[in-house]
Amino acid sequence: MIDKFKAAFKEEAHELLSQLEDTLLELESHPRNGELINAAFRAIHTIKGSSAMFGFESISRFTHEVESALDQCRNGNLPITKDFIGLTLKARDHLKEMLGQEEPPPQATLEEGESLLVRYREFMAGGKTQAAPEGPGSAASAPSGEAAAVPTSREVQSPAPGQAEPAAQTPQAGQAGEPTDRSSTYRITFKPKPDILKDGTRVLNLVEEIAGLGQAAIYAHTEDIPGLEALDPEACYMYWDIIITTSKTENDIRDVFIFVEDRCELKIERISGETLDEEGRAKRLGAILVERGLVSRADLRDALGSQRKLGEVLVEKKIVSRPEIESALVEQEHLKKVQEKLDSSGASIRVASEKLDSLVDLVGELVTLQARLSQTSLDLKDAALSSICEQFERLISQLRDNTMSIRMLPIGSTFNKFRRVVRDLSIELGKEAELTTEGAETELDKTVIEKLGDPLVHIIRNSLDHGIEKPEERERVGKPRCGKIMLSARHSGAYVLIQVSDDGKGLDRDAIYTKAVERGVISPGQEMSEQDLFLLIFAPGFSTAKAITSVSGRGVGMDVVKREIDSLGGVVSLASERGKGLTVTLKIPLTLAIIEGLLVRTGGDYFVVPLSTVDGCIEIGREALEEYGERRIINYRDDLVPFVSLRSTFEVPGDPPEIEQIVIANLQDSRMGFVVDQVVGNYQTVIKPLGRMFRGVQGLSGATILGDGTVALILDVNALALAVQMDGGRKAARGSGR
Amino acid sequence: MSQNSRGASIVLNPSGALIIDRASAFKSDLAEALGKSKKITVDLSLVEELDLACLQILYAARRAAAASGGELHLTGTISSRIAKRLSAVGILRGTPGRAEDFEASLLEF
Repeated sequence: MIDKFKAAFKEEAHELLSQLEDTLLELESHPRNGELINAAFRAIHTIKGSSAMFGFESISRFTHEVESALDQCRNGNLPITKDFIGLTLKARDHLKEMLGQEEPPPQATLEEGESLLVRYREFMAGGKTQAAPEGPGSAASAPSGEAAAVPTSREVQSPAPGQAEPAAQTPQAGQAGEPTDRSSTYRITFKPKPDILKDGTRVLNLVEEIAGLGQAAIYAHTEDIPGLEALDPEACYMYWDIIITTSKTENDIRDVFIFVEDRCELKIERISGETLDEEGRAKRLGAILVERGLVSRADLRDALGSQRKLGEVLVEKKIVSRPEIESALVEQEHLKKVQEKLDSSGASIRVASEKLDSLVDLVGELVTLQARLSQTSLDLKDAALSSICEQFERLISQLRDNTMSIRMLPIGSTFNKFRRVVRDLSIELGKEAELTTEGAETELDKTVIEKLGDPLVHIIRNSLDHGIEKPEERERVGKPRCGKIMLSARHSGAYVLIQVSDDGKGLDRDAIYTKAVERGVISPGQEMSEQDLFLLIFAPGFSTAKAITSVSGRGVGMDVVKREIDSLGGVVSLASERGKGLTVTLKIPLTLAIIEGLLVRTGGDYFVVPLSTVDGCIEIGREALEEYGERRIINYRDDLVPFVSLRSTFEVPGDPPEIEQIVIANLQDSRMGFVVDQVVGNYQTVIKPLGRMFRGVQGLSGATILGDGTVALILDVNALALAVQMDGGRKAARGSGR
Repeated sequence: MSQNSRGASIVLNPSGALIIDRASAFKSDLAEALGKSKKITVDLSLVEELDLACLQILYAARRAAAASGGELHLTGTISSRIAKRLSAVGILRGTPGRAEDFEASLLEF
């Protein structure tokens, strides 16, 4: 049982670490964003708590110190520098490594952790002196206005049972728990009268008790405390703004104050149901201030008109005091958190991805079985059976679409890790580059997304290493020092187009040509379209880099890209202008599991051509075929289209029939014909991977099982065409060499 | 309460429960110290309880010191019970153990 929880902890921790990475990278560009600092702190804090709970003590110890450092940043005592981000990213990687190990981790890991912590301690020691003049109370910590700033009070929350750090919690806490749809949020202003302490009332206990009723954010006002001389030592000067989200009623809250009702000002307002504004965003600071009656709408309009941070303007104009702004910011932060919790708990459930995979497998089996049923019903010619069969088919196709849509994920999840790649690599290479992304919400099948990771890393590394120039060189040619890499994704029919563009030096057409001739891929003087020439960079071992770096230049990498994209049934294309940059476009099918295919037969073998690539089919007699002779080019819709015979390509035994069919397939920017014996028809193809022995076979992307149980191979027309062309190229090169 | 003079600065070492019963005395001690020196340090290591009345006095003393161009600082290891308590009622950010952090984490101190 405990293992199950441990697995859940690890899963959650991995997720938090990936969020942390995004947050840190974001923080690097916006080091003053309090919300981001808080998010980083929360991620580490949660890992610390749950790791201790499940006995991962070394993780808990490590995170404890990282958390302390982040807490210092949160309080403004430690500046957020590039080095600090770098260190914390390393700490994040270290945690990831520790998650993969058993407790206790090996000595080497512990030593690595210790060396990171030593650097943290140095930071904290150095940060204190640096940040001293900016300590709390100085101008540097002035309210930051409309944008949510670092909340100045601690968010108090009921602890989960067994949570490692039951700190800051109240004895009553623990039952009211997480916000749910049934919870309401209240704004409580509790202002004790000065004499309340004299009869022994424990004001702090009351506040604690309220906090224990749910998730609370508390702001304690200390501004009324006078100087020592004027102070009555037994009077109460402090008062509280408490924002609480709870399932308790207003009466339950009032009950807490029942014995002090006459010795305090108590205001309880319900603010639930309006945690978001009309556009669905967290409520603006201005709206909160107006609701609290601190600012009139007219004043708000004036202040907003000044184009400066609202908080600052209002404090400057003495419309509200700084603590009032701080308190409103605490409320804003609280509402945002509550909303986030609701968003994440209500609408979706978390399912292990293996379950989804097995669901898709089962649907695949169903589709296969349904094909058999249709075949049988066709043979039996029974009207009742065919009618059932048709309904069955419709249902299964709905089921298939539904299942596939469950597996769709936004591609943004992989985009994020590339920001880290760009950051680390540009430092390593001594270059400056930034990655911008677009279309992160574009959805793709989960398996496709997983397989896209490596190719995209290779493309981006290639762009950084060979494309983007060194900062000095960029300045010399009149480009900004910092290079740009743009990663974008968008839908286009049954495909997703993923583009990686850089503003580097672009591809060197001549260098590629020379290299290709050198390697015997093309013959000297051979004419080649620019696109075909560029595509040669994807050939195994092909690199024009003059020097081999640790990053690239060995010619491995780009061939991996091609192979992976081919295996996805995708297409790679390149556009480049010398000196201006390179754009790599990947055209990827939305799903890998089930596709529409055209079933064809050659001899006793069946093949499936993905329907999305099929342009048309033509019939051709033996005589005509021989007439085309060696050249093997046919006139199709006023276009000269080369064709190959599947029979000879795959060495299928037997003689071809008198009349054959040519399936014309669309390649990247050309067409190619494939001669087959017979076109059987449209076929719902459940893609099964090929066995290990056959994975290297060029031109095949998988296999499928037909209705009668025979296996059909799925053609990868692009790879097949390339294989045929390369084969032809080599023959030509050999021929000219003779 | 014991007092130590270290050069020009004065260190106060209150101990036990710093609660309303001792508030008047605590105020006088601080006022006296402020009269003698511009630099006051309050060592909270031995304090087992700190209630609202005495906390307010610390705030007041800090403000008085600042107003007269002096300084008041907290030092020592803070009992985790006190830190948790103050944190739960929104007066303290986090639950720091060391006094320097405690001082920095006290809201508007």
